[in-house]
Amino acid sequence: MIRSTRISEKNAEIMKPARKNMRDTLLSGIKILDLADQKASFGTKLLADMGARVIKIEKPGGDPARKTANSSRKSPPFRPGFSFYYHNTNKLGITLNLEHPTGKDLFLRLVKKNDVVVETFPPGYLQKQGLDFERLREAKPGIILASVTGYGQSGPKKDHKTCDLVAAASGGQMYVTGAPDSYPLQQYGAQSYMAASLFTAAAILIAVRRQRRSAKGEHIDISLQEAVLSTLEHIVLQYFYDHVTPKRQGKLHWNHLFYIFPCQDGFIQLTLFEQWETLVEWMDSEGMAADLTAKKWRDNEYRLKHLDHIITVLKNWTKTHTTDELFKLGQLMQFPWAPVQSPTQILSCPQLRARDFFMDITHPDITRPLRYPKIPMKFSEPLRGPDKRAPLAAEDNRTIYCQELGISEGEFKRLSSEGVI
Amino acid sequence: MDTGPLKGLRILDFTRVLAGPFATRILADFGADVIKVQSRKTAKGTEFNTGAFFSIWNRNKRSITLDMSHPEARELALRLVAISDVVIENFTPRVMSNWAMTYEDLKGVKPDLIMVSMSATGQTGPWRNFVAFGPTAQALGGLTYLTSYDEGAPIGTGYAYSDPMAGLFGAVAVLAALEYRDRTGRGQFIDLSAYEVAAALIGPALLEAGTRNTPILPLANRSNSGTAAPHGCFKCKGTDRWCVIAVYNDAEWHALCNVLGDSDWISDKRFATLSRRKKHARELDELIQQKTSQHTAHALVTLLQEAGVPAAAVQDAEDLANDPQLLARDFFVHLPHPTLGNTVSDGSPIKFRNEIGQNWKSSPTLGEDNRYVYMDLLGLTEAQFLSYVDRKIIA
Repeated sequence: MIRSTRISEKNAEIMKPARKNMRDTLLSGIKILDLADQKASFGTKLLADMGARVIKIEKPGGDPARKTANSSRKSPPFRPGFSFYYHNTNKLGITLNLEHPTGKDLFLRLVKKNDVVVETFPPGYLQKQGLDFERLREAKPGIILASVTGYGQSGPKKDHKTCDLVAAASGGQMYVTGAPDSYPLQQYGAQSYMAASLFTAAAILIAVRRQRRSAKGEHIDISLQEAVLSTLEHIVLQYFYDHVTPKRQGKLHWNHLFYIFPCQDGFIQLTLFEQWETLVEWMDSEGMAADLTAKKWRDNEYRLKHLDHIITVLKNWTKTHTTDELFKLGQLMQFPWAPVQSPTQILSCPQLRARDFFMDITHPDITRPLRYPKIPMKFSEPLRGPDKRAPLAAEDNRTIYCQELGISEGEFKRLSSEGVI
Repeated sequence: MDTGPLKGLRILDFTRVLAGPFATRILADFGADVIKVQSRKTAKGTEFNTGAFFSIWNRNKRSITLDMSHPEARELALRLVAISDVVIENFTPRVMSNWAMTYEDLKGVKPDLIMVSMSATGQTGPWRNFVAFGPTAQALGGLTYLTSYDEGAPIGTGYAYSDPMAGLFGAVAVLAALEYRDRTGRGQFIDLSAYEVAAALIGPALLEAGTRNTPILPLANRSNSGTAAPHGCFKCKGTDRWCVIAVYNDAEWHALCNVLGDSDWISDKRFATLSRRKKHARELDELIQQKTSQHTAHALVTLLQEAGVPAAAVQDAEDLANDPQLLARDFFVHLPHPTLGNTVSDGSPIKFRNEIGQNWKSSPTLGEDNRYVYMDLLGLTEAQFLSYVDRKIIA
């Protein structure tokens, strides 16, 4: 059904991993200390997946995110949530008490051996611990500190309490999502943390680049609120240029060009006006175009004014089809349509299978292998060695403290028993 | 852009609409020299230079015209590739191929080139030629299905969220590939799929569905992690005014009861622990809403935050434009434009506390940098340049 093109075969060839320098990964040599919770942990995961060495530092006893309940009620209470597994692949795991004087010393010794520190504490916390940016810079000139918080390091709301729900509301996402006659709706999946994580990853790579050239360190200041607002397509556009305050409009896209329609077996996202005449012809060939064949409907303005009628007619038509029929036929005619897929459907999608998008990694916590989505980019040069599961709490303590910092076995045992690490 | 941490980096930018321009805007904001390749034929709709949409997503970039459908355009394009570090595009896979501008072709003139292709479903696989915009990519990727009040009634975000996110991944890809090139001398090709971007954004849900074989359902505004109750959106005084409240522990719960003035709730056994509050969430939400609806959203949120409860007003565009927090951090960027006057765009959420001064400019007019790029950078003479213009290649 799909025409094979030259580029695809060529690029498939390019995608074969390079044989030379198998150990040299994209970000080899970049060393990151990761104190972050979920607000930034996907960002450090992304850098770790691309080959940076990321040491996740948890409180003695482990990250509270390990204890996050699973959405399945049957799970034992103290097993990590799936977010934890997803956000911590390819990281090393150590424990350290930053509030203990010896813990602070150890941390500064670690800072000396690393390039980047990522943290998500409330503004002022690190300063209270005597570990603010200036102190870190004394320990390691050129250190890059990335701080990710609800509202940033400055401004009247910097000390406000935050979480993903707060960021979704304060950043403007919720007001424009949901049905007009119902309450504002949060996007699924802690998306403010995903957006902030990506901005953090980009910021770190920019700062590393500058640091290499100018030896200047940097304090990166990321606000969840700003991260959310930056991912809204139309708010700035509509408010500042069209002088409109956008509202929720349910399944109808803000610009009235997309709508979600029911099919026999699910839902499909359609464009409303794209290739209008082809669309009407297609519906007409099945006797389902109603009055849309009339010439007046060819006028864009007229269609916009009578959108409800178009949606009604289209709905009657889509209900006579399966999502797959409309999707595949539509794509053959270059309609940018897509089924509204559930996670289960995504897992069995032939496109993702053909591209090896999923990989299984075993973890001692869970009997079955975990099926991970990979990062959504294929690099022709090697990413990293074999993928490593999320660490167990304190799993790499000995490697980092004894081998890297040169702490003796006796000292290591003392630090462990005193609750420093 | 001649200052900033990415100074000296040249990017030949064939991207259009949102995902690609979002990626190159991040790089341009930090000093990369982004040369956007346009033509009179394609500078329409979202690519119309004096439209607001274009203006927002293309600040700090240069614009040149080059009509790639002209048979002689390729030779000039290859000369531009030869002086660039990065080529980035977001067409369907067949477009660059039809122009004989695949990575293999371009590597011939620039061996350490980094090329990023941002397509709908990737450069390989049975769906590789499928077309998609942001809304369709997020429908494929599960975000639309899961962003809803109820199972089997998808709502979606209502805007193209996955485009900026794909743009962010694209920018990260460029920066990571530069690290690698600077260390090893090797360029590379990066194949980014918008569908996979959307799917990666619901990673934990896919991980759970794939590992447990359990269906994952929309949560409306319930807590993703199950660690907060109440956790939701509540009506406030006024038309379509709302606030969100999230309570993660007993201290926050007591503070909420005190602010809303109902100490009976503290002694109510139904709400004594997090798991009980979760079990009786519906009743609790109704009781809370009776109280919140007597307050204006912003005033109530101030009280709640003072008491230590995570809460926020559900902000509309007007709230955002006047938000003292965003204003204090200079989030909105005002730049003069020759025909649009004073333009406004969202600033970068990447804030460097020690970076002094920005040398930002508004979006380019069509072909604004033709002379600079073709003559100063490529070295065409005036006569050669005019000949390309006359032959409607630079057009």
